[in-house]
Amino acid sequence: MNDPSKMKHDCPNQKDCLQLLQAILDGEATKEQKEHFMKEHLDSCMPCYQNYHLEVAIRDLLKKKCTREAPQELIDSIKKQIEQNLRA
Amino acid sequence: MEEEIIKNNYTDAQKSRIFDQEFMPHINAMYNFAYRLTLDRDDAKDLLQDTYLKAYRFIDSFQEGTNAKAWLFRILKNSFINDYRKKSKEPAKVDYQEVETYYNSEDVDRQITPDLRVESLSNMIGDEISNALNALDVDFRTVIILCDLEGFKYEEMAKILDIPIGTVRSRLHRARNLLKEKLSEYAKSMGYKTA
Repeated sequence: MNDPSKMKHDCPNQKDCLQLLQAILDGEATKEQKEHFMKEHLDSCMPCYQNYHLEVAIRDLLKKKCTREAPQELIDSIKKQIEQNLRA
Repeated sequence: MEEEIIKNNYTDAQKSRIFDQEFMPHINAMYNFAYRLTLDRDDAKDLLQDTYLKAYRFIDSFQEGTNAKAWLFRILKNSFINDYRKKSKEPAKVDYQEVETYYNSEDVDRQITPDLRVESLSNMIGDEISNALNALDVDFRTVIILCDLEGFKYEEMAKILDIPIGTVRSRLHRARNLLKEKLSEYAKSMGYKTA
């Protein structure tokens, strides 16, 4: 991170920047957009820098906390029904 | 199912191989999706089972080499809408348009613009995020699951949900704002400074 005291504390385009950084994290931005934003903007703009890290943290937390595995007996039951279907 | 599809004529051996190698590897992600849609373990099991049986029944319209996960997610989403949404314990379906218009307004965006901090998220070691996600309207919940948990591209999401790609983008943006708003409420109630 760059020296925080040299960073802007207001971003005039915060809403657009947020959409752009979400698109970047979603892998939906162009290479140019990504390079420009990550190299030119992020290190000099505090609100966007914070937003970026917040977005990343939320995604990590979602992946860590919001997934679950199918119960084994359910998997077995589905497989069994398909096998029966195949034999039928 | 899609209207113009090439019908394959798979042999039983091919069907069995496709099912095992293309469909079964997604079963955990599919179960999670079913659970997050229905918010009920038993309904999730039924929905998952119905979806996999349906996938098998329509296996001839699955094109090998195409995205099996997206194909399966679309079937699950359609089954949910047709068979479960009506009887689910969720409150009656909110009018999409109304919700989208409301959350599209600048006011809401400004209000929501996050006062949430990374540090307060690191204190959410319990079910806070899961509860926050589950508390969102099902359409907002869905786009977050598809994108952030399952890594679908916008174009794939548009096909799974039968909505234009622009709607995917805007719904996702709003869903994330709403999720942050919920998380921010949790952070406040936990006593962490949010701003």
